[in-house]
Amino acid sequence: MIDLLLAVFSTTFLFTVIRTTTPLLLATLGGLLSDLGGALNVALEGMMLIAALTAVIVSVYAPWYVAVLSGLFAGALLGALMALFHLRFKADIILVGFAVNILAVGGTVFALAMATGGDKGTSINLPSKAIPAIHLPFLEAIPLVGPVLFQLFSGHSTLTWFAGFAVFGVWYVLYRTPYGLWLRGVGEYPTAPEAAGIPVNKVRLWSLIGSGAFAGLAGAQLAMFNYVGFTRDMTAGRGFIALGAVLLGARHPVGALLAALLFGFFEALAIVMPNHVRWMPGEMIQTIPFVVTVIALILFSYRSRRASQLKTLTRI
Amino acid sequence: MTASASRPDRFKVFRAELGRALVALAMALAVAFLIILGTSADPWQAFSTLVTSPLSSNRTIGLWVDDVAKLTLTGIAFSLVFQARQFALGVQGQVYLGGLCATLVAMSPIGTTFAAIPLAIIAAMIAGAAYGFIPGYAKARFGASEIVSSLMLNYIAILVVNYMVRAHLAPPNTGQLMTARFPETAVFPAIIPGTRFDLGIVIALVTVAIVWFALYRTAWGLKLRLVGHNPRFAEYAGIKANFIMVSAMTAAGAVGGLLGAVFVQGRAFGQLAIDFDGNLAFEGILVAIVARNRPLAVPFVALAYGYLRQGAQLMGFRSDVPSEMIAVVQALVILLVASSFTLPGRRFIARLLGRGEADPSTAAGGSR
Amino acid sequence: MPPLLQAESITRIYPGGTVANDGVSLSVGAGEIHAVVGENGAGKSTLMKILFGLEQPDAGQLRLEGKPIAFANPREAIDAGIGMVFQHFSLVPSFTVYENVALGSEPRSGIRFDREKAIAQVRALSDQFKLRVDPLARVSNLPVGQQQRVEILKALYRDARILILDEPTAVLAPQEVEELFVAIRALVAQGRTVIFIAHKLPEVLAISDRITVMRAGRTVGEVATSEVTEKELATLMVGREVSLGVERSQSDGGRACEIDTVSIQSEAGVSLATDLSLNVYAGEVVGLVGVEGNGQAELLEAVAGLRSVTSGEIRLKGENIVPLGVLDRRGRGVASIPEDRLAEGLAPGATVAENLVATRLGDPRFVRRGVLDLKAIRANAIALIDRFSIRVGGPAFAVGTLSGGNMQKVVVARELAEQPELLLVNQPTRGVDLGATQFIWASITRARDAGAAVLLSSADLSELLALSDRLVVFYRGRIVAAFINSGDLSAETLGAFMLGLETQDETTMKAALR
Repeated sequence: MIDLLLAVFSTTFLFTVIRTTTPLLLATLGGLLSDLGGALNVALEGMMLIAALTAVIVSVYAPWYVAVLSGLFAGALLGALMALFHLRFKADIILVGFAVNILAVGGTVFALAMATGGDKGTSINLPSKAIPAIHLPFLEAIPLVGPVLFQLFSGHSTLTWFAGFAVFGVWYVLYRTPYGLWLRGVGEYPTAPEAAGIPVNKVRLWSLIGSGAFAGLAGAQLAMFNYVGFTRDMTAGRGFIALGAVLLGARHPVGALLAALLFGFFEALAIVMPNHVRWMPGEMIQTIPFVVTVIALILFSYRSRRASQLKTLTRI
Repeated sequence: MTASASRPDRFKVFRAELGRALVALAMALAVAFLIILGTSADPWQAFSTLVTSPLSSNRTIGLWVDDVAKLTLTGIAFSLVFQARQFALGVQGQVYLGGLCATLVAMSPIGTTFAAIPLAIIAAMIAGAAYGFIPGYAKARFGASEIVSSLMLNYIAILVVNYMVRAHLAPPNTGQLMTARFPETAVFPAIIPGTRFDLGIVIALVTVAIVWFALYRTAWGLKLRLVGHNPRFAEYAGIKANFIMVSAMTAAGAVGGLLGAVFVQGRAFGQLAIDFDGNLAFEGILVAIVARNRPLAVPFVALAYGYLRQGAQLMGFRSDVPSEMIAVVQALVILLVASSFTLPGRRFIARLLGRGEADPSTAAGGSR
Repeated sequence: MPPLLQAESITRIYPGGTVANDGVSLSVGAGEIHAVVGENGAGKSTLMKILFGLEQPDAGQLRLEGKPIAFANPREAIDAGIGMVFQHFSLVPSFTVYENVALGSEPRSGIRFDREKAIAQVRALSDQFKLRVDPLARVSNLPVGQQQRVEILKALYRDARILILDEPTAVLAPQEVEELFVAIRALVAQGRTVIFIAHKLPEVLAISDRITVMRAGRTVGEVATSEVTEKELATLMVGREVSLGVERSQSDGGRACEIDTVSIQSEAGVSLATDLSLNVYAGEVVGLVGVEGNGQAELLEAVAGLRSVTSGEIRLKGENIVPLGVLDRRGRGVASIPEDRLAEGLAPGATVAENLVATRLGDPRFVRRGVLDLKAIRANAIALIDRFSIRVGGPAFAVGTLSGGNMQKVVVARELAEQPELLLVNQPTRGVDLGATQFIWASITRARDAGAAVLLSSADLSELLALSDRLVVFYRGRIVAAFINSGDLSAETLGAFMLGLETQDETTMKAALR
């Protein structure tokens, strides 16, 4: 147990946390965009999965950044598809989302088998590429904290840095530009932006496209950095955990970051625990992220319910 | 499907719904055909396997009927929560937990007695109900989204069951990922000897009847549907919406647990294996959506969908097209049925009936 | 010079076949305050939606300064200089005033929303037109009157030359109406034009220059305000001499309901109503007067059992019903017609028969040992459909397929299916047409004459004055005045108490509280 504690407080562990958080954070930001626009995107999981496979297959033939972009576009396209059925054909957004998830679970296996010539499990025999890590050797030169900083921050995926900046970027767009104002207005009370002449459905369309794009990046990170190559069902519920993080993140990018870090921490814990805690079976360790999500959801929902009650206090 | 007999447009509504489902199916099959055409060396053979193979032998018919029973049960479980307008998606977890509890009973000394089947079923239903209750209570008491919590519980249940099988229930030192076969007293008897046509289909049909009765003939069912139509109104009318919501999820959980028992005790398995549901439990979403959450429509949808599912699996074995191709058909059917695309003449019919200003969205029958 | 804005022979037929506008014409001169009056359902709102591009006419022409023009959507109308303030505000509650005002036309620097500039602009406009409101305040924290100012600022911010106000006074207390009129006069003085929709004639006569009268989808006249009397206008509007007046109750029954020092708190512990005491007698209507949000609606909810009471007792025929749930209270004769009948009073996807028994699922006539008696439910529906002349194909039709008026009737039919001991009514005629108003008023008085005690809350003072036998004024969660409704009680008197400008002495209040 002491062993585990030491491991948790090591820089290598925190490095792992950052790595496991990255896809969760990207997906959570995606979920945040559609949630603020008034649509709960339950398809994050499916979008990630499809984007992961797309990125892997494209990376066989094209440079890594093209592959990442193709993952982004795959997600965005699925977002547009959801918007089409939800906004144009009035289908319930949750059912549409699950159609995407079902398509993803089977469709990726089908496409994988097609691409590999029959392998339904992994893309192991495809020479797919990875996203390059960003090495920061100069950090080591800093006296005292240098080595720690180096171990923590050097060697992360390009997309990790992007995700970090995206938190700020999403915040800026949401709270400092007109588009963010429109998006939040559409999600909270669509009658108001509609009366102000804002094309409400267009805003919703773009929020779903943006949501898909972020989920697509999350998928690319998963299959081109966290793991290199595609495995069937490799998202393993991360999209749904991200959905939990959206609900947990208080509808704010910084909240999304904190929630993603929380779940990333427990995912990292599930990764290192088998080396330190031998008495606990692997399957039980794997349940940790899911258990934590349920508990966090319950605790936080309770808190936010209290908070909204307190808010009415100031109203009267 | 209300009780009152004289519903002038009832048949037409039914026909319109059937038409929608068939059009959706036809479109999805057309897309499936195009995909097969694009990926298969022998597309005709693959497609004809998809469409005809379930009827090719007694064995395949048995497989199909077995799937129909299971799809009916999961479809019923989803219909129950969807009618209350709860997006609890925990059937898969309930199936695993129900299957586990049924297994524990079947492998205990009780398993060799005549009480094995009823007790295992009851244990499975209690486990499933408890597992369905958790997200319901978490929502009613804390406001936690039932979508996320029920999905998380699915993952947890699958991992727990897989662990139990691997570490405790499989015969030791064999490396097998399944239990030994249950004693014959704990396995459903075959209704037609030598086939998989077992007690499962009977259980499924009885469940349909019970759930239909509960939804349309009892006060609880009416309350549940009123909560689903308009929770604010339900509160105003003195219906305890939270209680109804939790009880709907718990009842659906019992059905999910029952399905777990049907899985492990059916003749197809007669044992507990890891990842045993083959994702079938989740496909109840599709069955429920296409059936518009009407219990009496569920077996028919399960019949059609089970056929397609079986055809796809056989196509996966017998041709070069992977069975997972069917996912495209599934997704398309959901998208099309959930959309408000209309068959020509529907509005015209509505006008003939003199409904006046029928709002198209509500005139659809308040499907969910 | 042609008039600023003209509508020529506008016709609008809704998909269901309702003719909302039938050859309507309107001509508004620059710089005038032009009132459009008519009963509910006369077609005023449809005409305004067409002027603002929310709906397109099936026939007819709009002209702006003589030139033909058509608006495909509100954006085009806004760009042409038309602004509209709806009766139901379109404001995002969590946004600040300046965010709401600028929404859709934000000043930018680069891709950034230039918030400083927006705040300055809102401040300047609010000074210029005497529309006092803090640009940084959150809209959800503002009272209704100020929210309305935000709506007007929104239109002015978009350089509206023509401002359409849809029943702006419906939500205001009389004194707030006066402030609004000051602002409207300031607008016109600075060259803007105002179209003012209303159905309360004294207000129209007080503020407008010219008046267009609509009735049943047509324009029936255009007059200068100075040349017309209230009586003439009323006749034009209704087409016949009407009195929506209601006979006062004759019966004087016993004390049906006692509300005894009831206090109500929100779930978070905020006081919503304090020490409310009042009695309602069988066969009388007690009107709850007050600006919305002063505790009237909360009291009705508490009596219905939808909201818990922190202290005090509510006694029905001497029995304290506070510990009872909604169903038990209903079983003891409490009926309730909610404000938003379609959103709160019906399950649109369920059948008419199911909606008609939804509140009586504990009644052994319809449910025995948990099982529904479908025959009885159906018979109940057929009887009520007949008694309340609900137009529907049969009891098995979904309520959502009925027309709005018939949906209202389903709610009223269910609540009055059996003679209630105590009837709670909130905003009975908000947003309904004249026919439905008459129907609901008649239903209330019929229940009263049969011995029901009625608690009525309404934002419409004329409605309260017409229906109530006694009136109780709420201010900040307390009862501040009570009146016996005699002929000389005026809306202005009530208004002064509603806004807390006047206080009543204890003995007068006690006397009126009986």
